[in-house]
Formats: sequence, structure tokens, C-alpha cells
Amino acid sequence: MEIQSKARAGTMQSSDVVVFVEPADQLTIEIESTVLKQFEHLIRQRIEQQLATLEVTRGLIRVSDRGALDYAIDARIETAVRRSMEG
Amino acid sequence: MSFEADVDDVLGIKDLHGRLVATGSRQGALLKMIAVDAEYQSSELFSELINALISCGYQAGIENFFVYTKPSQYHSFTALNFHLLCTSEHVALLEYGRGINRYLQQHAPLQRVGDNGGVVVNCNPFTLGHRYLIESAAAIVDWLYVFVVEENCSSFPFDVRFDLVKKGVAHLSNVSVLPTGPYAISQVTFPDYFLNNSTLAREQQVQIDIQLFGRYLAPAFSIKHRFVGFEPYCATTSAYNNALQGQLPQYEIELCQFARIESDQGAISASQVRQLLMQHSFDNLSQLVPETTLKFLTSSKFFKQVHLDPKFRRH
Repeated sequence: MEIQSKARAGTMQSSDVVVFVEPADQLTIEIESTVLKQFEHLIRQRIEQQLATLEVTRGLIRVSDRGALDYAIDARIETAVRRSMEG
Repeated sequence: MSFEADVDDVLGIKDLHGRLVATGSRQGALLKMIAVDAEYQSSELFSELINALISCGYQAGIENFFVYTKPSQYHSFTALNFHLLCTSEHVALLEYGRGINRYLQQHAPLQRVGDNGGVVVNCNPFTLGHRYLIESAAAIVDWLYVFVVEENCSSFPFDVRFDLVKKGVAHLSNVSVLPTGPYAISQVTFPDYFLNNSTLAREQQVQIDIQLFGRYLAPAFSIKHRFVGFEPYCATTSAYNNALQGQLPQYEIELCQFARIESDQGAISASQVRQLLMQHSFDNLSQLVPETTLKFLTSSKFFKQVHLDPKFRRH
């Protein structure tokens, strides 16, 4: 899939994550999290996996996390990417 | 906290009995008048409120948000991934969206190492006075950064002001012109809403503005000198210059004030130019503005893009 416009998914609630995506020539992942110190590597890994599954190879991905579990990260990433394709 | 009517969105959350238990507003990129009933302060109501305000902002095309709060309260915002930009004695300024990093990254190609200087100008419009300030400053530093106020609160729109500054300094080989973003002299750095005592409010605002310059802009561009023109007319600007004098040294930045150059009518100022324009007296303008600005003022673009209003828009 290809990120075609700016899009967003998720909320600022505890245990959720807000995902922002926008078109870019390279793939960049920026992570903000209230549990960054403990879990940044795991969050990044999960995002990379999900993007690979969705076959997203470029775009700016920003996540603002409040301790979301893996399935929530997956769902928000997928929703944001799909929204970006709706134009 | 006091009520202000000038906002884009006002949201409220009611409980099952219809009692208002949380409220917040948004004015552009600034979140304000946020309050949550004591009974609900440990709940998720606060994040729900902020989330809803920010969603409204996104729909309006804004991606980066600011909030002022008491220094003792800022943790409730950092828990939502807001970043603390700076604090003064009475207020803390936080940002959501990492805009300052993006701003600095965007202008990173202009960064140079050296004994550099900076000026922050509105240039409404660019005059011979501005040119004199910039030429004098450029002559004594390695590189000069000219930050043009991006906030559109002036009679000349930002694009026009920016363009006239660029054209007016094009002959100088060690000058970069860039927009301030919201990080200097903006609705964000000068909010007059937070504190009721207006003198105190102004002092706090100036402190925040100077801190942003000292902590973010100056280090990124190796700025060791800030230049201002001596202000003979405007009390606000004059007070701002005094505050710069007092506070910049803690960031190891030196303030240099230059005297203004004069025409037959006294010190040259942009307000003088606007006054002449309102009186349609184009004859004396060439004494006040450079050729580049004059060319714009006498073109048809001027009438299309600039709306002079004698009642407000002092700057």
C-alpha cells in the first residue's frame, strides 16, 4: 500500500496510540511515548512489522503512544494507512 | 483564568445529570480555557477533552498545538505526549506535535557555524530603516539570520512582507531570511489571555518569547548577537527591547541596539510609511523605503494584497 495523503487514527486515551501518516520519499518512523524508555524498541519493531505486512515502504509515520498493546498498534497503523488512501 | 470569546471551538462534557464537568477551547493552534471538575480529575475525561479539541484542530488543518498552563500542572499534558517548550515563574508552554524539531530540521540547511547574529522583524513593510539595521548588523557578524514574523496580524500579509525583505537584502552576501514560524512574536508566544494582571501577563509573555529564542533558535544558528533598532515610538516594543537586554545574557547572547536613521520627518518607521499610504501621498515614500519596496507599493499588486486599516494593526 502507498500512503497518498495525510491521515490520522487513534485517540489520546490511556492504552491507545495516535498514528499520523503522510507521504514521503523515505520511510521514517518517529515515536513519542509515555513509556519510551522501557519499550521504544518493541514499539518500533511492531510498527515496522505491521508496515511490512501492509507493504508500506515509504512515508512519514509518527506515533504518539500512551502504552498501547500490540494489537492496538497494528489496528491504528492499518487504519491510518487505509485512510490515507481514501484521499 | 478568564473567559474569552475569540475562539474557534468550545467543547464541553456533561455528566448523566446534564451537569457540565469539563470544558476546553481552541483558538487556532492554541488550546485554552481548559477546566475539569475536581471530581473527575483522576478520570480519563481530561484526555478525552484534549483529544476532541485536537481532532477539531486537525479538521481545520492544524497539526501542531500549544497550551499554556501553570508550571505545577504541566505533567498532566506531558502524560499526553505534549512537550514542555519552556517555563517562566508563572506559566509553562507546551507543544503537541514536535513542531519545533520540524521547524529546526526544515531550516537546518541554513545553519552555519560562526559568530552569528539574528534579528526578528515584522517589516510592515520593509523600510530604509530595516535595511540600515540589517546592513549594520551584517557588517559585524559572520552570518546574519533575519527572522520575519510569520503571524498574519499585520496590514501587509506575511508572503508580501517576506518577499520584500528578501528583495531588500539581496545585495548582502552573508544574510539568510527565514520565517519565525510560531516561535517568535506570535499568537502563541504573546498570548494575552492567561494571566489577569496585564503587566504581569506581558512580562511572562516576553519571558517566554525570549526563552524560545535563547533556547531553540539561537543555538541552532550559532547566534551570539541579537540586533534591534532603538524604539522611539512604541511603548510595547521599547519594553520588549529592555527585557531582551536583561534576559539575553543568560543565554550568552549580546543585545545591540542601533539608533534609527532619519528622514526629513524624523526617525524612519514602517508606521510612517503606512500613514503616507493611507493619505495616498506616494511622493515622499522614496525617502523612507528602498527601490524594491517602492516598486511593490506602486504596483497593482499592492491594492490587491494589502488592506490598510487605520483603527488597528499598529505593527
